[in-house]
Amino acid sequence: MTVALRAEWTKLRTSPGTAWLLLAIVALTIGVGAAAAATITCGAAGCPEDPAKISLTGVQLGQALVVILAVSSISGEHATGMLRVSLSAVPNRLRLLTAKALVVTGAIGAAGLVAVAGSFAAGRLLLPGSGFTEAHGFERLSLSEAAVLRATAGSVLYLVLIALVALGLSTVVRETAASIGLLLALLYLIPLLTQAVSSPSWKRHLQQITPTAGLSIQATTKLSSLPLTPWQGVGVLGCWAVGSLVLAAVVLHRRDV
Amino acid sequence: MTVQNIVVDGLRKRFGSKQALDGMSFTVDAGRVTGFIGPNGAGKSTTMRVVLGLDRPDGGTALVGGHPYRTLPRPLTELGSLLDASALQPSRTARNHLLWLAHSQGLGVRRVDEVIELTGLGSAARRRAGGFSLGMRQRLGIAAALLGDPRTLMLDEPFNGMDPEGIIWMRGFLRELAQQGRAVLVSSHLMSELQDTADHVVVAGRGRVLADTTVAQLRATISDGRVSVRTDDPNAAAALIAAGAAVVATEPGTLSVTGLPAPAIVAALNARQVVFSEVTAHRATLEEAYLELTRDAVEYRAGEVAR
Repeated sequence: MTVALRAEWTKLRTSPGTAWLLLAIVALTIGVGAAAAATITCGAAGCPEDPAKISLTGVQLGQALVVILAVSSISGEHATGMLRVSLSAVPNRLRLLTAKALVVTGAIGAAGLVAVAGSFAAGRLLLPGSGFTEAHGFERLSLSEAAVLRATAGSVLYLVLIALVALGLSTVVRETAASIGLLLALLYLIPLLTQAVSSPSWKRHLQQITPTAGLSIQATTKLSSLPLTPWQGVGVLGCWAVGSLVLAAVVLHRRDV
Repeated sequence: MTVQNIVVDGLRKRFGSKQALDGMSFTVDAGRVTGFIGPNGAGKSTTMRVVLGLDRPDGGTALVGGHPYRTLPRPLTELGSLLDASALQPSRTARNHLLWLAHSQGLGVRRVDEVIELTGLGSAARRRAGGFSLGMRQRLGIAAALLGDPRTLMLDEPFNGMDPEGIIWMRGFLRELAQQGRAVLVSSHLMSELQDTADHVVVAGRGRVLADTTVAQLRATISDGRVSVRTDDPNAAAALIAAGAAVVATEPGTLSVTGLPAPAIVAALNARQVVFSEVTAHRATLEEAYLELTRDAVEYRAGEVAR
């Protein structure tokens, strides 16, 4: 297993796109978070915004790049036929998939940690200037506050789980463009369409079962209005990740490559 | 007891309505180059994929060193293979491609540099593999196959896309690998590519083995015993018929003789004092032998389209 892991790490590290993508995940996530923290303002006491969530807004865009990195780690091999070379080196398919999942987890975990930490720092710095002050009833963003710590650490976990969903589904789908299309639809199109559902209970049910339910981990205020509690939301995403990987393992095990 | 390097036994595999493998059986032994020859669609590549555990057969077994490939702990140290030279990520350098493969077998960067040297990749190894010509990719594929210093090599159409210089290099290289005691299985759809390289040939057609023999024997079995006699002597035909041969005049001054070996023909002509300029025993080329064997197994043939 360790040699398979080392090989996958070498593979990821020597793909020229990887470093740029990881850098872009960090830059985009922090950039969007900082922009949100600087532009969303609180004019008076009792404004409805959630400052921790604002500072972590970039995660919603960063996840698109996470999807691209995770998808290309397997679909590129399908497209070129390199998967056959990989499987001739590591014939145990479950082992190969596990190694890929661990390497993607490590890379996205590290990039996600930097991205989320940067977003938090930018929020802490910029939010008071946007009116999130003690006068308006907001403490300065701090990790010593349990909900803020949960939102921040949970955002890293969210990105990792999104990467695993992407890895699993693209292993099944094989084709790069189709995989990215499917994932972006799950992450952006479905939530958008859900907004258009008129029945409130249907809307709530849909919000509870899509992968983006995991974003509820970012909420620190008005938790009762969420479709799911923060950890339940991450749990739903976790089920997506496990389900995708199990499906990928079954398909990969059975398929002629 | 010696364990054969590759044993393929009764492989069957169906893709939809097409029976790709229909009882494919042969062995690949150490110390020689085994040519795996057959027209396109004969099942050569499918057999190799089954040996590597990439395709699951409907029936039969394929063993490498006595074990199924999938159970080998460090498979590249047992069997090095090259199925498709273009199966690599184009943006990665050749050296890095070899590096991750080496790491997958617990090997280090030193072995990577050794195989780069061995296959003559040289400074090109630090370039992106996507920019390589097919010939260079074949060299990279051979380098990958040699990484684990395996006792068995299995190469699918390694001559494809190589320039004449590359083909000569490849032939010498394959012979050298066999002389080192390794078993080498090389597929091709062209007999001519292998006739100076392979010691043994497995001729395949329609998913099964048509002939499993040495190159010399293959040549002999197909040789049909025709002898050409060049002579302007009008008595030549009569002299040969009297000696028991069947004679056909193929062109002016040339007789095609069957039923008598060349020395007996010369003796018969001398006995009647017939003057001749040439007596040539007709020997089938390997290409002819191969075409004869696979005539019924060719899947797509010009002319069939019109049916």
